[in-house]
Amino acid sequence: MSNPGPVTPDVLRARGLSKAFGAVQALSDVSVDCRAGEIHALVGENGSGKSTLLGIASGFLAPDEGTVEIGGTRLDRHSPAAARRLGLGIAYQDYSHVLDLSVAENVYLAAPADQRPSYGHMQSWAEETLAGFKVDVPVTAVTGALSLAERQLLEVVKALLARPNVLLLDEPTTALGPDAVEQLHSLVLEQAKAGVGIVYVSHRLPEVLAVADRVTVLRDGVGQGTFEAASVDEDAIVALMIGRPLKVAFPERPTLPADAEVVLAVSGFQGERFGPVDLEVRKGEILGIAGAEGNGQVPFLRALAGAEHATGTASCDGARIDTRTPAGSLRAGVVLLSGDRKGEALFPVMSVRANATIQIIRRLARLGVVRRSRERQAMAELVDRLRVRMASSEQPVSSLSGGNQQKVSLISSFLRGDVKVILAEEPTQGVDVGARFDIYEALRAKSEEGVAAVVKSSDPLELSGLCDRVVVMSRGRIVEEIPRHELGERRIVEAIVGSRAGRGAGNGADA
Amino acid sequence: MKGRSMLPLGLMLVLIVALGAYTATRQSAFLGKENLNALLLEAMPLILVSLGQAVALLVGGFDVSVAALMTMVVVTASFTLTPTTSGIALVPGVLALVGVGVATGLFNAFLIRGLRLPSIVATLGTLSILEGASLWLRGYPTGAINTDVTSALTSAWGFVPIAFVGVVLLAVLGDLGLYRSRTGLGLRAVGLDETSSRRLGMSTGRTIVLAFVVCSVMATIGGFYLAAEVQIGSPIIGNQALESIAAAVLGGASLAGGRGSFVGTLLAAFFLTEIDNILPLFQQPTEYADMAIGALILLALLLYQSPVLVARFRGSRRTVEPAEASTG
Repeated sequence: MSNPGPVTPDVLRARGLSKAFGAVQALSDVSVDCRAGEIHALVGENGSGKSTLLGIASGFLAPDEGTVEIGGTRLDRHSPAAARRLGLGIAYQDYSHVLDLSVAENVYLAAPADQRPSYGHMQSWAEETLAGFKVDVPVTAVTGALSLAERQLLEVVKALLARPNVLLLDEPTTALGPDAVEQLHSLVLEQAKAGVGIVYVSHRLPEVLAVADRVTVLRDGVGQGTFEAASVDEDAIVALMIGRPLKVAFPERPTLPADAEVVLAVSGFQGERFGPVDLEVRKGEILGIAGAEGNGQVPFLRALAGAEHATGTASCDGARIDTRTPAGSLRAGVVLLSGDRKGEALFPVMSVRANATIQIIRRLARLGVVRRSRERQAMAELVDRLRVRMASSEQPVSSLSGGNQQKVSLISSFLRGDVKVILAEEPTQGVDVGARFDIYEALRAKSEEGVAAVVKSSDPLELSGLCDRVVVMSRGRIVEEIPRHELGERRIVEAIVGSRAGRGAGNGADA
Repeated sequence: MKGRSMLPLGLMLVLIVALGAYTATRQSAFLGKENLNALLLEAMPLILVSLGQAVALLVGGFDVSVAALMTMVVVTASFTLTPTTSGIALVPGVLALVGVGVATGLFNAFLIRGLRLPSIVATLGTLSILEGASLWLRGYPTGAINTDVTSALTSAWGFVPIAFVGVVLLAVLGDLGLYRSRTGLGLRAVGLDETSSRRLGMSTGRTIVLAFVVCSVMATIGGFYLAAEVQIGSPIIGNQALESIAAAVLGGASLAGGRGSFVGTLLAAFFLTEIDNILPLFQQPTEYADMAIGALILLALLLYQSPVLVARFRGSRRTVEPAEASTG
């Protein structure tokens, strides 16, 4: 790509964008431009604000502050339809397909009115259209029956139907294999050559740098600068992506005895969105799972906990886990601390006491009547140890801070007494720094009692400080394992963005 | 037809014919012209309100306020369409009723889209308000309704009410629109997946508002036929809320939205009325009808879902539909 940068007009101009979700500042004062014919990479860690930026640029989200100009016209109404009229196309990371409709119907709905043929000619038209983009999917198929890779390619095609001047791609290669990535990139390069400005969001650095003209780095919702892709190397970009000022303390990590027995053994474990996964976690070990969002980490944990369908085997202490239902996994001693605390882990309107004791309420009853004093007694020690801050054990758990809520759900599972494996999904998301240490400590203390823990986190710093070992998942599989002596924030981020793996395989962009 | 099961239509048709044939062999009066005319007219209110309900279900909502709205229409008619008015003077009275319907639809839509209340709760509130208002206006059944209007509504060709032909046409055109036009595709898309529809640039809010207004207007027209039936301002007449949902579901609608058939709904509404009409002929109490209808709904739903159930038990994903022969 060689474009006379200064003379080409900006097709997208985002100025001073800020957006907060509740207490979380997702974007603060971020500006990005995209020129006609340019491929502009937008990179950053999970939660750095990339998707929020695209959401605002495409009119799906309204910014708290700042403006978006598409093709020189200001987007003043925040609706996707308005952005589309101004010449913007977007391929969403989680797609815009109506899964119960056929491929032809989805393509038809995505096309602007003046391009749509009469309804009766939809199928042949859709076939021609897809062939024009060299995408080979049966147009009569129900979209939900397509593979994830097919859905992803279809999403990009749909974004291109209106012949946009700006194309936003949000992680367009998450589900694609190398061949499909190649196919997508040739499509993207072709569009750029035709003068379309492309904003390409990805966490796969070698992939995106191979085609990008410029790169903008985001970190914690703040722009870290825009660079000519030819003039920066991956290391410099990774350095900009990480480097958090925050200091977090972690509990001591005792040395794992070499002969510690395996508690959780998983083999050929496979679900619709992950796998096959083979994994062993030993007694007293905390295993971290890293990876960019949406690469199968959460479905994998949920499947182990019986909350999602999977095939293959998983065993706990040598006995096979019945993962068909959550109850089966619980019986085997596998407990999930869901990342969706209010939706899945807790009963938000019930009291702290009720939430803490709900799993063992039978044991606290005499003749079927539960005594409050016994309930309070049962939880008192853990409340102390975990330093739960609350006014009363009778207040609704939803009135506690995120950190204290997480502590209550820990108490609830610890009280069971039969826990052998803890699966923690984002254990410190929405938890303030002070409470984080308490949660790390509680997990560590439990592991020293002989429990095996698996922690899925999008925070590399957390994984490197807390875990004994980290595995990295990509496209549903474990692609790399980082032993304890190599653990570090940078090492994990590099594994996630694939720069090391890329070099190892000899197909890195600019190794 | 693509993306749509013809099973509900077939099942309803079979049931209607089977039940009718069985009854005809036992009670010769059943196929008499008078009885058929009465049956078709009796079915009109439920058919109309069920067609409206099907629209609400298509966008993934419920409207349980429809029966109370129908009552409100009957009660209002006893004020605005009095026996003493005639000719052109009746027009404002009719418009007033339509106004009540449109206003109710907009109110429901405001609760659901504006205040983001779940449709079942929102329309439950509307139901209570309308019921109370009807009782306030007419504490007991009184106030005769203009017979010029009611006999115009019920005029017939032979034993077939003209209006019945009208609703059949409406249902057929509705299905053609739903499954053979871009507007229908958009409506189904909004019901199936609102987020994706919005991302594709559709005005999902407007679609949903419109759906609830259409539902209320259809209930209002159903109310006219209820008024023609009772001819008096009765505050305790409309009870078709659950039956209309049952008819739409028996006709192939999904409670999750995005699916349904107007012809199927019409057939199901007719079938439900047929059961009600037949039991007195056998001197059977109506409790049996209620129980039979309930059991039937459950059976029909199991049947409609069975391919999905089978696929689920296999743990496989939905299969790709084979390319269809021309649907010209």
